[in-house]
Amino acid sequence: MTKSEKPIIQIKNLWKEYGDNVVLERINLDVYEGEFVSIVGASGCGKTTFLNLMLGTEQPSRGSILLDEAPLDPEPSTERGIVFQKYSVFPHMTALENVMLGEEFSKTSMSSVAMGRLIGRAKEDARENAMAILEQVGLSQAANKYPSELSGGMQQRLAIAQALIKKPRILLLDEPFGALDPGIRKDMHQLIGQLWQEQKLTVFMITHDLSEGFLLGSRLWVFDKTRQDSHAPERFGAHITFDIPLSTGKSGEEELERLKATELDVA
Amino acid sequence: MTRIINRQPSRYGRLALGFLPFVILLLVYIVASDARLAENSADKLLPSFQSFADAVVRMGFEPSKRTGEYLLLNDTLSSLQRLMMGVGLSAFIGLVIGVGNGMVPYMRSPLSPLVTAISLIPPMAILPILFIIFGLGELSKVVLIVIGICPIIIRDIQLRTDDLPPEQLIKAQTLGGSSWQIIVRVVLPQIMPRLIEAVRLTLGSAWLFLIAAEAIAATDGLGYRIFLVRRYMAMDVILPYVLWITTLAFAMDWSLKRVSILLFPWYHGTQGGGHD
Amino acid sequence: MMHSIRSIMRTLTLTVSMIALLITTSPAAFAAEKTDFKLAWTIYVGWMPWDYAAASGIVDKWADKYGINIDIVQVNDYVESINQYTAGQFDATVMTNMDALTIPAASGVDSTALIVGDFSNGNDGVVLKGDKTLKDIAGQQVNLVELSVSHYLLARGLESVGMSEKDVKVVNTSDADLVAAFSSDTVTAVTTWNPLLSEITAQPNTSEVFDSSMIPGEIIDLLVVNTETLEANPKLGKALTGAWYEIMATMSGTDAAATEAKTFMAEASGTDLAGYDAQLASTKMFYTAAEAVAFTHSADLMATMQKVSEFSFDHGLLGEGAPDATFIGIETPSGVYGNTSNVKLRFNPAYMEMAAEGAL
Repeated sequence: MTKSEKPIIQIKNLWKEYGDNVVLERINLDVYEGEFVSIVGASGCGKTTFLNLMLGTEQPSRGSILLDEAPLDPEPSTERGIVFQKYSVFPHMTALENVMLGEEFSKTSMSSVAMGRLIGRAKEDARENAMAILEQVGLSQAANKYPSELSGGMQQRLAIAQALIKKPRILLLDEPFGALDPGIRKDMHQLIGQLWQEQKLTVFMITHDLSEGFLLGSRLWVFDKTRQDSHAPERFGAHITFDIPLSTGKSGEEELERLKATELDVA
Repeated sequence: MTRIINRQPSRYGRLALGFLPFVILLLVYIVASDARLAENSADKLLPSFQSFADAVVRMGFEPSKRTGEYLLLNDTLSSLQRLMMGVGLSAFIGLVIGVGNGMVPYMRSPLSPLVTAISLIPPMAILPILFIIFGLGELSKVVLIVIGICPIIIRDIQLRTDDLPPEQLIKAQTLGGSSWQIIVRVVLPQIMPRLIEAVRLTLGSAWLFLIAAEAIAATDGLGYRIFLVRRYMAMDVILPYVLWITTLAFAMDWSLKRVSILLFPWYHGTQGGGHD
Repeated sequence: MMHSIRSIMRTLTLTVSMIALLITTSPAAFAAEKTDFKLAWTIYVGWMPWDYAAASGIVDKWADKYGINIDIVQVNDYVESINQYTAGQFDATVMTNMDALTIPAASGVDSTALIVGDFSNGNDGVVLKGDKTLKDIAGQQVNLVELSVSHYLLARGLESVGMSEKDVKVVNTSDADLVAAFSSDTVTAVTTWNPLLSEITAQPNTSEVFDSSMIPGEIIDLLVVNTETLEANPKLGKALTGAWYEIMATMSGTDAAATEAKTFMAEASGTDLAGYDAQLASTKMFYTAAEAVAFTHSADLMATMQKVSEFSFDHGLLGEGAPDATFIGIETPSGVYGNTSNVKLRFNPAYMEMAAEGAL
């Protein structure tokens, strides 16, 4: 990571308020290409709001988020891929169709614009690309199955594959493994770590699992409220209280201990 | 003694219990009919099964003396044509407006209150207005069905569209879909099986409105025949017609379910193996 | 399990027989003497006196005289009231001569026309849009209540100009919706009765091309009583006939009592005195029992019933078991039309004669 590069994401004095209720305040951060940011924090301290701001489904009250030095689109777009905890894949399409959809939305032909479908040669190309990505996430055997026929882990693999076909500038993961069994979660950690390194992805991952954050991230953000007003808890918002660089791939036991020593309230 | 809520009939017991109410109804009918016929052999209120058979042969398998047509066939075709047109039109309008209202806030704001208001009008109450606007022909019968069931379908489809997880729509946007592409590829295909469900649920009302429309002004149709022969209390014709309508309605419901399972296996997969 | 099913079945069979017994023990099934009777009536110019009879206490007075109770019930749907009578729920009901033949008589319920109240003398008519005559009806759709007296009137009208039903297309239309239907451009010809008829002819650009005054005495309004009930309970016949002609006497007068009675009937039928008088003008009321008796004795009645029987048979109204129009016997004082061993409709002037003689 060379600091002379331009940051891919610049967050400048970001505030988010709903009326009098301040959710996020005073966030100033730069993120560089290839970083893997794990985001942790107690429930209700603005992690999801932050993700929505990154996605474009909500707009900052003050300040701005720049992607490649330009303000973010005010609605979701192809630069930002997303994997939610659930409902990320389309139940009415097979795994292959789910992954092809990104290319079929490309608007490069009349059939794409009018029907959201590709035909002929373009369709074959999209199918090949999609199969290649399914191969990478280990789903090539399940290409013609519907999501309801897939296990929870396989559905999340599919959601990742689906997001990757658009080659997003940043990949947002919203507690992507929260609903999975521990064994499957371990496989998924391996997969996402591998994809991150191979494809030089820039990833933001919200997680409830601190050790998962340490394991996968190259950087860990902790969201918390530092100012408290017991009479009017809504008056102050959360901001990023810790921004810890991590050596990736280690379980981060010592960092975890150190963090716990600071009596951090992590749910 | 286990609690009654924990006692399950055996497989055959369940089957027997399922048939039991029908057998009882049949028995009640036979006993009552025999008693009335013993008193007055020309009684028309509860005719014998022989009269039913005669009526079915007469209406279904012999050309009418007056017109040379097969009445049951003619009536069925006319009624089905009206029903299909009414239901088909309602489903189409319901899909377009329901999905539009669910997806496009600028469409929903003006249309949603209107649809709610229309759905609260009892269609039978505005019949005279329908006659003046649409005449007394086929059109007004189809329109009555549409006015009767379309608002229900629209509201159902709108709710079903709202129920689609927002995550899916966000995901589709991050894949580069335009509003139209998302509606065509993500929303419509998921709404189609729900539309079939909505149609199945409103079929009963559709029949009701069809028969009401045919009772008011018609020259043929199942409802027309029932209300015509009601004038001289020909229960031997009315009861087989009622059974026939029930059979048709059941067959339509069943085929819609099969079509849905065939075309949208993913939907019935998530619904727990295609049980109703 | 099997044992309990069997015991349940036994209980059920018993229940079924009990229910069936209840269903079949309808009032008319008892031909025996009894004291409580029910009469159904529906709104029509010639039947409004029954409402007045109930409200003014005249029926109660006559019922008390003969030691019986008569319950007068208004039914909203005309055909339904006849069906209920046929099923045995009422002992007496008002209906036309044609409906008496095609509904109760054709269903095997032996019925007697106790009182011949009036005949339609312009109360039923055929109306076309535009300045037309009856001949112009050829090829048009005619909206009417199929198989009703309107249908019969149309058939008689067509006959009078050498046409038949084949020359028009009959569209069955509910009477409740006929007036609204006439506003529609697709409706060009209707046949109906009053008060609908006057509503329709009051609209501009219409021609009434045929009406019941051209077939006088063919559409007759009757009070029909179940024959077995009447034979077992002559008191019922006497009380009803007595009450009816008392009201007729009041109505036909020119004094305040007549105005009061007719105003009551007018309001109950949704019009005013002038409107009701207009309807009475196209109705030949038999205000005296003697007139009704004379009408019943006339040979024309039998000829009329023959026409009605033939029309009914042609339209399948006598039941599919009927080989020809004479299948159901109709007894009139001047003779029996049709099958003498299957008489189901009787014009019996005995009680009206008693009224005429003042013997009630």
